[in-house]
Amino acid sequence: MDIQKDLVAASATPIVLSLLRHGESYGYAIIRSVREVSGDRIEWTDGMLYPVLHRLEAAGFVRSTWRTADSGRRRKYYRITKQGEAELARLREQWDVVHDALGRLAQSRKTGADDV
Amino acid sequence: MFDLESQIRKWRRHIQSTGSLGAQDVEELESHLRDGIDELTGRGVNVEEAFLVSIHRMGDAAALQHEFTKVSTERVWRQLLLPAADEHARRKHRNEIAVVVLLVLLGGLLAKIPALFGYSVVEENALLYAKNAALFAFPPVAIYLIWKRALSLRFVAAAVATFGLFAVAVNAYPSYAPHHTEVLAVLHVPIALLLLLMALYAGPGWRRADLRLDFVRFAGEAFIYSVLIGLGGLVLVGVAGAMFQLVGIDIVPLISDWIAVFGAAGVFVFSAYLVEKKKGVIETIAPVLARIFTPLFLVVLLALVVTMALTGQAPSEDRELLIMFDIVLALVLGLVLYTMSARDTEKPADWWDAIVLGLVVMALIADAVALSGIVGRLATYGFSPNKAAALGENVALMINLLLLAAGYFRFLSGRLRYQTVVDWQMSYLPVHALWAAFVALAFPPLFEFA
Repeated sequence: MDIQKDLVAASATPIVLSLLRHGESYGYAIIRSVREVSGDRIEWTDGMLYPVLHRLEAAGFVRSTWRTADSGRRRKYYRITKQGEAELARLREQWDVVHDALGRLAQSRKTGADDV
Repeated sequence: MFDLESQIRKWRRHIQSTGSLGAQDVEELESHLRDGIDELTGRGVNVEEAFLVSIHRMGDAAALQHEFTKVSTERVWRQLLLPAADEHARRKHRNEIAVVVLLVLLGGLLAKIPALFGYSVVEENALLYAKNAALFAFPPVAIYLIWKRALSLRFVAAAVATFGLFAVAVNAYPSYAPHHTEVLAVLHVPIALLLLLMALYAGPGWRRADLRLDFVRFAGEAFIYSVLIGLGGLVLVGVAGAMFQLVGIDIVPLISDWIAVFGAAGVFVFSAYLVEKKKGVIETIAPVLARIFTPLFLVVLLALVVTMALTGQAPSEDRELLIMFDIVLALVLGLVLYTMSARDTEKPADWWDAIVLGLVVMALIADAVALSGIVGRLATYGFSPNKAAALGENVALMINLLLLAAGYFRFLSGRLRYQTVVDWQMSYLPVHALWAAFVALAFPPLFEFA
């Protein structure tokens, strides 16, 4: 399934924040997790993630630290902040509203059609 | 053969040149790229394919950066995604020239500090201005690099501490006739401070050989720009002075007190800005310079060695001889660095590398022949600060050239990759700066400030 670009863009922030709530992670692992969790249906261009992460960091929602992995490779790990959790809660609420509305509309259309 | 490292290096240079990516951003993207390659090769894909696939997946990191500064209606999602970054990048771009102008002025103002203490006439206080020159010209460059790379506080602290240390040491040390240690500071402070600029240029990856080589390129190109701009400035000032003299106004004081001071102190940061903006010019100038002067230098050195051997003439002035050969070795090292910075590391060895090796070996022979005559005499008359400094440099340069000779020889005989030669040279570079720092900071107390 090819998800519309606008939707991919709008959902990037909540998805990244949700993922980081499970523990800190780095760019490559984040993209892999998103692919796995969505059953390969959400595919991000690798390069696109970093501007998102940097924007989140600038906003204070995540914090990053450079660390050297066991393999000797230096990686930038991202961790969610208190502010980030609050932002995530806010975004989740918005998504719930949208999701709810969509669900109800689908329902009422079905029942409405039966009535007529 | 496919050389992953050099391909990654090229890719990094490419994305660096296309946008306003900081050193950390590039390092992060590179780490990502390598993760991707590792995963694919782990699944049995060969390295070349893994590299291509990973690059492709990275997407248009370059194009993406490009979008930061350009609005494209076709890619609405990127604008939706990156409004903050987009605006930020554009603002940064606009601000850059303003920052550079301010930094040029800052250099000039730093150079006017001695005037506050009553040393306003440059000609009368030439030594004072000369030994502080790097402390006027380099801090703006350092600030520019810190700003451009968005470096952490650790780097800022290192820069402040280093400049502070040198400023205090250079100016607080007493100086007694014949002022030799003070004169030595003139030459050695800039060399020592270059190490700091290298650390700031490379940022968090300052240990990496490829970033150091990038700095060598950067410094070489900034030097060329500075010389060109300086020549232009001289012509301008000369013409202006002559014209105003014709109408009966002497503007020489204005020029020497203000315009020349601001120009000289500011030209380096402006050159640094030019180099950062238009990368790649050195790739046309450095090889030309190297190709012209490497063979010429080789001939000169050959003639020198033959002359010394035939006449058996041992130069009598030890100090002059030492200094002259330091200059020869430093020039040879400079030529090799220029060659290195312009050379594709994956290219196989060819006749040109043999000429470079010839130049290095000839310089070593000339140095050895010349110095063998005076080694015995050096100790007899004791060490003056000048002699000790020159001898230290000679040793540092000689070891450096021996290293290069060994590296080039093994590269030419196919036992070493060129990249390894580069790695060796880049690891050795700080030695020169550390020795210079030692001469500038420790020599005055060691030689009782004479």
